[in-house]
Amino acid sequence: MAGAWTVISTSTILAMPPSIDVPVAADPLLCYHCGEPVPAGCEMGVVIDAQLRPMCCPGCRAVAELINASGLANFYQQRTAYNQRPPEQEFAPREQYRVYDDPALAAGFTTEEANGEITAQLLLGGISCAACTWLIEQTMVRVPGVSKALVNLQQGRLDIRFDPARVPLSEIFSRVDALGYRVRPFHASAGRQQMKEEYRLELRRLAVAGLGMMQVGMFAIALHAGDIQGIESQYQGLLRWVSLLVASFVVLFSARPFFTTAWRHLRQGALVMDLPVALAIGLAWLASVWATASGSGQVYFDSVVMFTFFLLLGRFLERRVRQRYSLTWFDAQGTLPDAVSVKRAGRWALEPRVQLQSGDTVLVRAGDTVPADAEVSGGNSAVREDTFNGEPLPRSVTVGDVIYAGSVNVEGALEARVLGSYLDSRLAALQRSVEQAQTEKPRLARLADRIASWFVGAILLITTATALVWSQLAPEQAFWISLSVLVISCPCALALATPAALTSAASALRAGGVIVRGENALEALARATHLIFDKTGTLTEGSLAIARVQLLADFSSERVLAIAAALQQYSNHPVARAFSSIEPGPGLEDVVYTVGAGLEARDGDRCYRIGSEPFCRSMAATLPPPPPEPLYWVALCRDARPLAWIGLNDRTRPEAQGVIDRAKAAGLQVELLTGDSSAQGPLLARHLGIDSVRSGLEPQQKMDRVRELQEAGSVVAMVGDGLNDAPVLGLADASFAVATASDLARTQADFVLVDGDLHSITNTWFKARQCRRIIVQNFAWALGYNAFAIPLAALGYVPPWAAAIGMSLSSLLVVANSLRLNGKPQVQ
Amino acid sequence: MDSLYLLIPIALLFCAIGIKLLLWAIDSGQYDDLDKEAWKILADDEPVPPTAGPEQSESAKGEKP
Repeated sequence: MAGAWTVISTSTILAMPPSIDVPVAADPLLCYHCGEPVPAGCEMGVVIDAQLRPMCCPGCRAVAELINASGLANFYQQRTAYNQRPPEQEFAPREQYRVYDDPALAAGFTTEEANGEITAQLLLGGISCAACTWLIEQTMVRVPGVSKALVNLQQGRLDIRFDPARVPLSEIFSRVDALGYRVRPFHASAGRQQMKEEYRLELRRLAVAGLGMMQVGMFAIALHAGDIQGIESQYQGLLRWVSLLVASFVVLFSARPFFTTAWRHLRQGALVMDLPVALAIGLAWLASVWATASGSGQVYFDSVVMFTFFLLLGRFLERRVRQRYSLTWFDAQGTLPDAVSVKRAGRWALEPRVQLQSGDTVLVRAGDTVPADAEVSGGNSAVREDTFNGEPLPRSVTVGDVIYAGSVNVEGALEARVLGSYLDSRLAALQRSVEQAQTEKPRLARLADRIASWFVGAILLITTATALVWSQLAPEQAFWISLSVLVISCPCALALATPAALTSAASALRAGGVIVRGENALEALARATHLIFDKTGTLTEGSLAIARVQLLADFSSERVLAIAAALQQYSNHPVARAFSSIEPGPGLEDVVYTVGAGLEARDGDRCYRIGSEPFCRSMAATLPPPPPEPLYWVALCRDARPLAWIGLNDRTRPEAQGVIDRAKAAGLQVELLTGDSSAQGPLLARHLGIDSVRSGLEPQQKMDRVRELQEAGSVVAMVGDGLNDAPVLGLADASFAVATASDLARTQADFVLVDGDLHSITNTWFKARQCRRIIVQNFAWALGYNAFAIPLAALGYVPPWAAAIGMSLSSLLVVANSLRLNGKPQVQ
Repeated sequence: MDSLYLLIPIALLFCAIGIKLLLWAIDSGQYDDLDKEAWKILADDEPVPPTAGPEQSESAKGEKP
């Protein structure tokens, strides 16, 4: 008995869902929560399941501690993907959710229930797998006052019902926030509602077709058996009439979209794949109705219904794969803070951002996102404008300068006078160019639709010819033979050729870490001639790292860096991040931060300074000018003695070179379009061997370049990450967003790289080309089958049962051929 | 074989009921989130009782009307 128990328990462990093993000894150490490397010298950890788990940042540690303390640590066993790293919380005070306690503001996304409770709908960001929904539901439902919490994974939405007298809405927001997910009000929009309706309607059609198929199939078996063994005509009539009843319902309800699409395109003079589908379904159904009514000929109700069901199933699956990770409702406005400090009668009051008027004075603290386009009226600081130019280095601003909504204030607090509403802002202009890009995106004609147009023409021609010839030879047979030509040309295999291959390729790519979102993207990518990269954050890491240390005194570079790190740990400037992986030197005191200049600190009677050239030279007059290399240089000095120049740059991703080499070897033209106006762009291009480079581009100019290429007949694939890349990603024929991309860039990209490995770009391209080959093979087979079978049918040699078997076999072959795409992306 | 005249309508009736039920389930949103439901049966219904929090959840239950 004991033996048996051991066996069972072992196999239970083996059968457990895959959890993520943290390589404890492996290098580099990964954060247990978010999976990012733990910076050197960071000794944070949380004991979960009696084991010390490493953490990379205070944010991850706080979330992991919270999860563990709530008894929900099981989440880590169940999840299938790492969590997203929580945003740095120290600058986002929970206070900002207080504005939602105002019933007027909350009314947009809450509804009041009969018993005084409130149901709120919240949009969640950062949900990476199904286990997250469990974690959120379990946490929220145990908050006193909450009676129901339901997360919809597909829409990323939390529906929560609570008693406002016992728990305020702001508390709910901050609880979800504390779990490390981004949370915003979910505003129902017409588009979102329509998407839900369409999804349900599609599912209803599929359900009806499926159940109808079973019924008609059952009657069809009896009818086929009757054909072989003999059947009394009254029972044959009965079975045909009930089949007619069920099949008609399926044709009228489930197959309706094929007819409407075909008709809509036909009126515009376009022949699409839905036309032969509609013709086949419609004519086979009509012929069967005729046969039933006249008690002669052959019925095809089972084929009609089965064909409808499989086509609907294929389309439903294809659509689900695409919609699963879509964030189609994301807009640029979502990056702005909800609550803003506004000066009212000489005091700062927290108000909803939407109530801002032009002329109001707002307070933007260090770390805050600028809420509106505004002119600085007090304070000095620097703002990071990666929203508009993709660059991590901030721009210094002082009184009189304009700061833009969506940029981030990095250094000191600023007071600023609001210049206009959101709609007049530069961010809204960016959002509008995204929308414009969507409408301008060239629609490459699908292979299937191009084939359909001449296929339909050919079939109609052959059928007419057959009817004419047979009406001369044997008028009584002309109708049935022409009909069998139409039915045998049933484009099952043709119609399945594309969706089967696309669905198969998309699921293979998903397993390889690429999410396919675009409808036409795989076909477009297979025909790409140009591959365009953004620089910062795409080819490079997107953050500064130490590239060189130029020593000016007899200090070791380790010592210099330790001193620099000790100073920089007091700064929020992006430059300081570069030092976060270095063990800081011994304690410094009296740290003073000078906005736009640098840091100063004391160690006993010695004074250290790190920062810009003038800032350090004012203390150490002998500081030489920085070395000539085009790096971002910071000086370090002690009292009057210069110690070092430290050169920083944005490190190139290690795999960038390999990816560009492979793309060039495979015949793609590679280009670099960057918003960075410094010499870094051309330098990187030369280093990586990129033929063409344009730097200092605004989002609009990037779009112009892509448009120019498209007008010259090129098919453009674009890789980008930032908010500023969103319009150009929307315009390109096929586009990729890298793992760290902003939400808006993700919504515009056709492919999202989940694991951040640039190799996935070329792998996806190879997969897309393979997919196109498979589609062509599928078409070749389907058309070849028709070329063989139609002449036989036209001569009157094909009995109905042979036609039915031939049709099913050719469809099966197409599906089997498409499944070959399911392998791992090939590395060539 | 005359029983077919009775049995087939019964089969159609069952089919109609099945379709009706399925459409009702779709309309009431039970199929809106296929990914989560598929995963859900693997999850524990009740979390492991937290080390510090049982009194809190007890009191929450007690206060409910």
